[in-house]
Amino acid sequence: MTALVDVEEPLALFAEGITGRYYHIKAVGEYSGNRMVFDPARGALTGDALLLPETFEMDDPACYRVLALEQLSIVEFGTLKFSMAEARLRIPALEPPGEPPITDRASDLERFFNHVSRPHLLSRLFALCERVRLNAQVRDQYPGIRRHQDALHAVLRQSAPRGDTSSVAAILDGLGYRVLGGRNAALESHPLAGALLELMLGVARLDADVFDSARAAHACYRLCMASAATAEAGAVLEEDLDDAASWLQRDVRLEDWEEGLKQMNGLILAAETAEGEEAVAADVEGLSDGDIRPADVDLRALSNERDVLARRLDMERATIRDAVGRPRPDARSYRYDEWDYLNRSYRTRWCRLFEERLAPDTQQDLDALRHVIRRHRRAVQSQLEHIKPQGYQRVTRVADGDELDFNAVIEARGDIRAGLTPDERVYSRRERVHRDVCAAFLVDLSASTDDPVDPPEAVAAGAVEELANLRDPYEFPVAHDEPAEEPRRIIDVQRESMLVMSAALEQLADSYGIYGFSGYGRECVEFFVAKEPDEPFTRGTLSAIAGMKPKRSTRMGPAIRHATSKLLRSGHALKVLIILSDGFPQDSDYGPERGDHEYGVQDTAKALREAEEKGVETFCVTVDRSGHDYLKRMCPNARYMVIEETRDLPGALSKVYEALTG
Amino acid sequence: MSEAAKLARLAEEPYYLPLADEVAVFRSAYEARLPVLLKGPTGCGKTRFVEHMAWRLYRDTQNPGAELEVPLVTISCHEDLTATDMVGRFLLQGDSTIWSDGPLTRAVRTGAICYLDEIVEARKDTTVLIHSLTDHRRLLPIEKTGELVPAHPGFLLVISYNPGYQSVLKDLKTSTRQRFVSLTFDYPDREREAEIIAHESDVEPAVAERLAALGEKVRNLREHGFEEGVSTRLLIYAAQLIERGIPSRRAVDAAVVQAVSDDATVQQAIADIVDAVLP
Repeated sequence: MTALVDVEEPLALFAEGITGRYYHIKAVGEYSGNRMVFDPARGALTGDALLLPETFEMDDPACYRVLALEQLSIVEFGTLKFSMAEARLRIPALEPPGEPPITDRASDLERFFNHVSRPHLLSRLFALCERVRLNAQVRDQYPGIRRHQDALHAVLRQSAPRGDTSSVAAILDGLGYRVLGGRNAALESHPLAGALLELMLGVARLDADVFDSARAAHACYRLCMASAATAEAGAVLEEDLDDAASWLQRDVRLEDWEEGLKQMNGLILAAETAEGEEAVAADVEGLSDGDIRPADVDLRALSNERDVLARRLDMERATIRDAVGRPRPDARSYRYDEWDYLNRSYRTRWCRLFEERLAPDTQQDLDALRHVIRRHRRAVQSQLEHIKPQGYQRVTRVADGDELDFNAVIEARGDIRAGLTPDERVYSRRERVHRDVCAAFLVDLSASTDDPVDPPEAVAAGAVEELANLRDPYEFPVAHDEPAEEPRRIIDVQRESMLVMSAALEQLADSYGIYGFSGYGRECVEFFVAKEPDEPFTRGTLSAIAGMKPKRSTRMGPAIRHATSKLLRSGHALKVLIILSDGFPQDSDYGPERGDHEYGVQDTAKALREAEEKGVETFCVTVDRSGHDYLKRMCPNARYMVIEETRDLPGALSKVYEALTG
Repeated sequence: MSEAAKLARLAEEPYYLPLADEVAVFRSAYEARLPVLLKGPTGCGKTRFVEHMAWRLYRDTQNPGAELEVPLVTISCHEDLTATDMVGRFLLQGDSTIWSDGPLTRAVRTGAICYLDEIVEARKDTTVLIHSLTDHRRLLPIEKTGELVPAHPGFLLVISYNPGYQSVLKDLKTSTRQRFVSLTFDYPDREREAEIIAHESDVEPAVAERLAALGEKVRNLREHGFEEGVSTRLLIYAAQLIERGIPSRRAVDAAVVQAVSDDATVQQAIADIVDAVLP
């Protein structure tokens, strides 16, 4: 027996290597959609995930690679390239085309199935033919997989119906059994079943494509319909037509529609610009208002078309989301253990963590952010000044340099006198000193960071001075009449602290990453990346930090474990993890009882200790004034700080940073 | 002629399969004496391309450096490489010193192609040193002797660097980059890579094709700690091991799987891909 969680990570890399894109590896049980129909023993492919059985009754983990390859082959070998237009050209027997209504959002595969009177039968026959074709391609392109596939199919055959010739449904079972490599002599000698088999196996050619499968399926369908046994053909296949390939084709099509919408927006923008210019020209020419120009009509038609497409896109996206579950195409997922202090053991690969880029806040005024940096910069920088490397140090005994190294010169002269070959490295030179530090800042983005900072902050003395200087002294009293600003929230202060710290660390030339975390439940821990250590600080980083928003819960353990693994990969000598939070760790299923925080505290404590054991210095900074209580138990060697006054956060952070890396 | 001398003289044509118009562009750049920058991942054939071009250009009797014993001087740059290492130094001889030209100076004097491989690895002062050689002046100043060496008419400077794995700190300075005609290299497509592997190792075309397919798949994992992907060079190594009788999976394990990453999970994934792609 092999469990999916045990092979998830290498399997995700395997799938990425095969296809060139990332797929989340999920157990069939994690499927959160409502409509897609698939065989849970074989799994399915969606736009962003590979769904596979939770366990498989083979001891060889290669079974999962075969299942993965069989699913991925749908994309690699062109099942999704099926189009009704080309099918009509390639398969003369298809019924004449009827133009689909604009509201029809069915995929081409669905339209192919639906164009006959018994769509389920055609769908099933197509699935069989296409599987035969794909298997032939997989076995040719991945010859090493053949023996594993044979072994897997042998296992699958044990539970698959062998089929017989009693009905069309039984014959189809028999064909499925044949696809798995099983032989059924009775089937082969039966007139209908034999003919179907011959058509189906005929697409096991390397030059066959999806249209050949469609042609074979269509021919099989006609044979079935012509046979006497067909009366019950439709009735026996009652299941929904929502097969995974059709949904995948709809998912892939979304990208084309998005591209179309983008192009249309570009056209409209160009037309609007041209119209604006014309309006100016019309004023000059003295044309009266209300004259309709052809350009107006075009623009209106174009706008309507755009709106229709946009609505269609939204509806389709919502439909797919409902059918196959919430997609996370831009995230990568990882699994982490969790410490169960009640049982004194790890729950292996218990949590799924999604890592994705923080969506930048493009609405935010970047100048306001820069102002925040300026306001705190002096204090923070003077703090970090102490740990700034003192420029250069002199290295002696080098072959090239700006000064002679007298000790080396004397030795060399001595060697020459003694008839020995002297060492040529008689110089010294100044070399820049580098700090080999990598820091990760992990910011709690739980919903509670939306709370206002309490009590409301007094404006810092320095800031008042700066504001006063900017204002005209005569207008200053008017400023008191301005409406009160929105109360500042914990997230605002956290965000500002990150801005100030990143500006200061840029000066120090240390590597640092800025991350946020939140999530809901063990299957959905979210880890957001604002900046990776090897990326430069850009405008994009500013807007990513500005995009830090309060989200959901605080499952700290997996986030700490993930940040630790990132730090370990950075390869720097000194690795520092600083966590900013506003309260104790909590999540919907973080512990046996709701309201009991001890489980979360203990798991976080364990994650912090694991980091320390791996050579990562950790520190927790919290704005939760009752934090002393649990932080004492949570943080190793009392490495924590409770900030009494929230506005002190940037200054406190720089102190912590200095202490950890100085 | 000894083997080493033959190699230095480029007596035989170094094999190179052109992927685009790089041969024509390089030839024109040489004719106009425009310095050339080669960009591309490790092991994709940059050095081989320069050797091939040097062979092509210097076999032409009209070339001012046609009679050269060493038409191509290659300097592999590293972080301890100083200007002295390239230009030359005074050596002690008895109680006096004698000047000894470095490889760059030798190329400038004789009219060879000087190829600075992985230029960004060298110390900053070395990159500034080459500036006066890359513009209309074509001069090499030797600070220690006060000499100003004019470049031989056959001389050309070629540098290479790999934008992929360099950190931001190690990027090539704009003032240096903008002095060169740039040629970008990447790994060849599957068919041509198979052709190269077969030529370089004498393995059966079918084996070469499988190795090229493997290279293509493994490169899809570039972002996982080995930004370079697997190089054509490593695939050739694997093919050479196979040609000498090592079983294909073992050969690929030694030459590819173990070589591209130290991360156990990534190694496992690559081994799985190997298991699927090889017969």
